[in-house]
Amino acid sequence: MRRILLIGLTFVPFLGMAQGFQVNLHGQKQIGMGHTGAALVQDGASVLFNPGAVAMLPENYIQGGVSPLLFKSAFLPAGSSTQYNVANKVATPFTAYAVWGPKNAPWKLGLGVYTPFGGLTDWGNSWQGKYVLESLDLKAIYFQPTLSIKLADYISIGGGFVYNYGKVNLTKAIPLASAGAADGKAELDGSGHGYGWNAGIYIKTEVGMTVGLTYRSQVDTKIEAGKTTFTVPNALTSSFPNGTFAASIPLPSTMTLGLGFYPSKDWTLAIDINYVDWTPYTSLDFTYSTTTAALQNTRSARNYRDGFAFRGGAEYKATTKTALRFGGGYGITPVQDGYVTPEAPDANRYYVTGGLGYKVAKSLDLDLSFEYEHVNPRTQTNIESQLSGTFQTNVFIPGISLAYHW
Amino acid sequence: MKNFKHYLYILAATASIAACKPTIDAPTPSKGSADFTRYIAVGNSLTSGYADGGLYLAGQQNSFPSMIAAQMQAVGGGSFGQPLFDAAQASGSGYKKLTGFDANGSPILADVPQTAVRGTITLGPSTYVLFTKYTGALENYGVPGIKLNDVDNPGYGNANGYFERMFTNSSPTITTSYQDFVTTKSFTFFTNWLGNNDALGYATSGGAGDVLTDKTVFATKYAAVIAKLTATGAKGVCATVPDVTTVPYFTTVTVAAVLAGVQKAAPTVTGLYINARASNNASVTTYVPRLATANDLIVLTFPTSKMGAPTVVGGVTTNPYPYGLDPRNPIETQYVLDANEISLVQDYVSSYNATIKSVAASKGLGVFDAFTFLTNVKTTGLVINGVNLNSGYISGGIFSLDGVHLTPRGYAIVANEFIKVINSQYGASLQQVNVANYNGVTFP
Repeated sequence: MRRILLIGLTFVPFLGMAQGFQVNLHGQKQIGMGHTGAALVQDGASVLFNPGAVAMLPENYIQGGVSPLLFKSAFLPAGSSTQYNVANKVATPFTAYAVWGPKNAPWKLGLGVYTPFGGLTDWGNSWQGKYVLESLDLKAIYFQPTLSIKLADYISIGGGFVYNYGKVNLTKAIPLASAGAADGKAELDGSGHGYGWNAGIYIKTEVGMTVGLTYRSQVDTKIEAGKTTFTVPNALTSSFPNGTFAASIPLPSTMTLGLGFYPSKDWTLAIDINYVDWTPYTSLDFTYSTTTAALQNTRSARNYRDGFAFRGGAEYKATTKTALRFGGGYGITPVQDGYVTPEAPDANRYYVTGGLGYKVAKSLDLDLSFEYEHVNPRTQTNIESQLSGTFQTNVFIPGISLAYHW
Repeated sequence: MKNFKHYLYILAATASIAACKPTIDAPTPSKGSADFTRYIAVGNSLTSGYADGGLYLAGQQNSFPSMIAAQMQAVGGGSFGQPLFDAAQASGSGYKKLTGFDANGSPILADVPQTAVRGTITLGPSTYVLFTKYTGALENYGVPGIKLNDVDNPGYGNANGYFERMFTNSSPTITTSYQDFVTTKSFTFFTNWLGNNDALGYATSGGAGDVLTDKTVFATKYAAVIAKLTATGAKGVCATVPDVTTVPYFTTVTVAAVLAGVQKAAPTVTGLYINARASNNASVTTYVPRLATANDLIVLTFPTSKMGAPTVVGGVTTNPYPYGLDPRNPIETQYVLDANEISLVQDYVSSYNATIKSVAASKGLGVFDAFTFLTNVKTTGLVINGVNLNSGYISGGIFSLDGVHLTPRGYAIVANEFIKVINSQYGASLQQVNVANYNGVTFP
């Protein structure tokens, strides 16, 4: 008679994609210059920065790099002075590019493998927002074969096909106590894939300036059968059946306009304006293979708006063997007030970068980069979870790459 | 290469300087114009940490006053003594625990036996349970069962084992009233959540086993107790009395649910008969059988097994008609808070709350409007830190297994509401309690 519907325990969903998940670590030379590169012909990273410029590369390239990323986020709950920090974990975005074409041919083939989206946050199981998120490990790896053609000495175009492999592991506490445990736990683990394309055009103008325009399409990444693991008190296991979940995430399209300037033989200056179209990301839906009164499919509003980034950078060839690079930029968050979540507590951000290039041998470049990113403090009450407080994030990203060219 | 190394050092140095955690500036806690040197908590079972139908150690340790006191300690608050049962007697008065769910999804409750009873005393017609004495420091004066009506009764401690255990002498020799007892030792701040039982006692007994405290008596006694509490300049916060229809004790077992259960075996049954109050006029006390409607509330503890069977007492059939299904054998009044009784209780609670607010205002005290807060929780629910909470029994997360008192999470929410009032009334900035650290109902 006292039938209990455990509706109140319904899983509040999670996972937001933010600029915080957009990983702009696509090549050490470009990172050093503030992530500019749409209008430059630096190395094999042009596969990503501007497939239209690949045909302009004077040599063939094979290169790889890694940028260990330390995401240091803190949360101060409203009305409290107890600050929570994410655990020290290092994400490893990487890049690998290959570019090949016959000498003097007007075309080049390219392949890029890179990680344009990802996140690694671990807030632990004792913080204020544990029912929203404990930890998240998200990776998206893009594979991009590319063809680029030089139409004339001053113009080239290119395009590529994108296959995305995405992987997510997420844990959060469930507010169900038993004698032995303060909370239950949910773990969602899955992988999925998606497809997209990109294209670009590169122009050398008569005044010496170079112009690049690129477009990377939206990649709808679908996880069709991720695994759910619920740990709940014994009496409630039937309410939280382990099974599978499905979710779809629209990784957004981006458009970049870049300009390159060459005031002297030793100096290269670049600016990029980057537009990220997050507007298709209106909601995040989760569908479970078995639903119960306590475990319902969810639909969470996200209502993202467009994101912008303004970037600038410079390279100075200090000697014939060494290049110094520096740059910076400012990003405008796509996350509106009320939608900030602890997976990637996003806000407007600025970043500064520095880099060092060294020619180890005639055909081998060693490049180092360092980036510091400061995400502005943002005081928010999330509309869905009512998690209220201030987030602040600093990101530290050293990086290293080797490029062989011939 | 020399230059390269040079640059490398600069890059490495920059990296190491920058690699530290962000620090967000937190507001410094402040006591504002209040003084928390000695905070005392005045009230009933809700103040004592009573939960799951009993007072036991874990409940006491999660009482809302102890949570408030912990936050006060950051701004000069003193220690906060509670009349805790010791670890060997942790189950205290005994309480209910959840052992599982039956095939219908109904919870199965079991009794955790008492360990802190030292005896009983019979005074006149009644027998009272006496508990192990508490002799330590005392700041939490929450006494389960106490009404505002009782606070000036010098003999009350003889007839309430929870109060009696706070005294060094024993029942029946106690001669100090509750309001004198709590104000004996000087204090600087108080919370006062008295008044619930003046209405709740009547309501939980289905209007049968208790009486509502007269409105004028309530007003007089409330003013008197507040006058005593503020006599030495102490500041404080009062709380109002919740609407009884917002607690799951009355909202879980509905007329429709009981009827549906009966109809499984007897599909032709179309209604339930209850013995209901004939009028909501306090002076008309006659009860007559009638068909139950959705406006009548059945108590959580109603034994549904009685439905449809002839009434048998001691092997003798005392009423041959099917219980609850025939006007000649209606559901007894102690199991039903009928529409007229609800109307009567709500009228009294409304009057009590008007008294509480006006008396508090006259002394410049803050008021936690528990009536409005719990009504809002019932109407719209509550989301805190990603947890959906509501007034539902067990699933709601706020109310404990007795359907009236709160879970640790519920008490944490109440503590935060008090803290908000303290902060706004006295310009203080006590920190909020982290609700996520406290659990709801404990499942097996």
